[in-house]
Amino acid sequence: MTEKLLLAVPSKGRLMEQTIEIFANAGLTLRKTGNERGYRGEVAGLDTVEVAFISASEIAWYLKTGRAHMGVTGEDLIREQISDASDRVTFLKALGFGHADVVVAVPNYWIDVRSMADLDEIAATFRREHGRWFRVATKYINTTRRFFAEKGVIDYRIIESLGATEGAPAAGTADLIVDITSTGATLAANGLRILDDGIILKSEANLVASKVANWSPAARQAENEIMQALGI
Amino acid sequence: MAAETARKFEALEAQAQKIMQVFIKAGHEAVSPAILQPAGVFLDVIGENLRARTYVFTDPDGAELCLRPDLTVPTCRLHIERNGDPATKGRYCYNGPAFRFQPVGADSAHPREFRQAGIESISDTDREKADAQTVALILNAMRAAGLKNHMLRIGDLGLFRALIKAIDMPDRWRQFLTHLFWRPDAFRAELHRLARPAEESLKDIPAELRASIVPGDVARSERAVVDYLAANSIEAMGTRTVTEVAINLMWRLADAKSDPLPPETVTLIERYLAISGPAKAAGACLKDLLRDRGVTMNPVIDAYHRRLQLMTDMGVDVVHAEFSAEFGRQLEYYTGFVFEVISPDLGPESPLAGGGRYDDLMRAAGAKRNVPAVGAAIHTERLLSVVQGGAA
Repeated sequence: MTEKLLLAVPSKGRLMEQTIEIFANAGLTLRKTGNERGYRGEVAGLDTVEVAFISASEIAWYLKTGRAHMGVTGEDLIREQISDASDRVTFLKALGFGHADVVVAVPNYWIDVRSMADLDEIAATFRREHGRWFRVATKYINTTRRFFAEKGVIDYRIIESLGATEGAPAAGTADLIVDITSTGATLAANGLRILDDGIILKSEANLVASKVANWSPAARQAENEIMQALGI
Repeated sequence: MAAETARKFEALEAQAQKIMQVFIKAGHEAVSPAILQPAGVFLDVIGENLRARTYVFTDPDGAELCLRPDLTVPTCRLHIERNGDPATKGRYCYNGPAFRFQPVGADSAHPREFRQAGIESISDTDREKADAQTVALILNAMRAAGLKNHMLRIGDLGLFRALIKAIDMPDRWRQFLTHLFWRPDAFRAELHRLARPAEESLKDIPAELRASIVPGDVARSERAVVDYLAANSIEAMGTRTVTEVAINLMWRLADAKSDPLPPETVTLIERYLAISGPAKAAGACLKDLLRDRGVTMNPVIDAYHRRLQLMTDMGVDVVHAEFSAEFGRQLEYYTGFVFEVISPDLGPESPLAGGGRYDDLMRAAGAKRNVPAVGAAIHTERLLSVVQGGAA
């Protein structure tokens, strides 16, 4: 392997465009090498940096395992995928885009449930009536567990949901959800409401460094140059 | 990892034989419950603390299974499967692996695979005696394996339950407080919420709904909810019924009409939870607390003292045992007496053994009713490391 710094950035959509833009504004041109659909790239003028264009959720894994030295991805994904985040990564800079809140949302119809404490209050009755704990659909399994434990709610089951989570309560596959939302419109359209104290994390895209990557002197030097350019 | 070398495995096996001999000689039948367990039973009873640390997976048929995080629930399931009626007496012992995810990484004191050697006494109705026998037998087995120095920590959730029962408050509040006992922060918040005037706890409920809900009248309250939903174009959906929503609102209003908990009651509960010190003095401490409040719970305090006396009679060093009212708050399924054996070498974070009474577990594990039950298990890798003299 090389001694180069590997920078992992999102491979598609607005996240990729905005990442490229932030770097461009700092005078760093990210570009793909080889064909347009490839996933390898470089930073013009910084030959100690290699760029990997990969999916945002894979970036967290690259940083966690040290495959990448630096990466751009949502704080929500880092917190979800790395249980010991503070030991494995450093959040270098919040980048001001990719805003999304991870929230607990219940059916609007539950007019008696406004808070996590209310939710805990109905748990025992729900179980008596339906013979099971209520189900929480989410792809944020670890985040949900941590937050519910912190709020003292333990009588629930998580149903892993890999898409269209907000439809789960209406479909009857879950009773409430933990999901990301940026405007809340999708939640409302699905008859859901965020609990008053149900905002788990206000997330945005972050530049993150891995503490467990193999940092060669060249990689350190490259990190400094990137950070200086971005004003960190 | 457990027994990563053949030599360590042999040492563990030799130690387990010594331990099992003591258990079997005392009349416990050796059993080997299944390692793979249905996840549902565990996920419902073990509490979030352990739930997040259980290896759960789906088999090719879609059934959710787990690697057992302890042997108590599997032993209960085995007892039910054998007997049907859980009231049949059962005294079991076991030695086998259990599995727990270690969030900050496994190490030798916190392996993700470890061997538990333990005992369970099911359906013995002399609770204090069964509790004392459990402690005595676990300590005897550990001594037989070579343990010299140890400290005993005890707690008693029965005292907490009796205290809550003895204090005048609506039954539903008792349920809340008991339910929240295992979560100290949520417990404190709830205790203080119950001590605040009513209006505050109702401010979340829309005024027009508050006016039309009638405590005690389900039909009218349900109609009020239906009308409110229609007026606000809110669609009912999901599993929870309108009746459930209406009944919950009725309860909330009824709670609000009850007098808040007086501040001296809050202080009493908080001072109880702060009791910590020599086990023999704890009963007197509690009696002092209660004396001025006109609260009596003598039978439970007497049971606490009787258990200590029985333990002394069975050769347990009770004089140096420590009691803490908070102890047991991490272990969701315990209902009464709880204890841990601590070694000076490993400290309180890594107990060598622990156990307690779990009178409510049988139904959750699939039986038709609950029966008294008490058990305990030894963390055999830790015991071995202490006996061999190396820090783990």
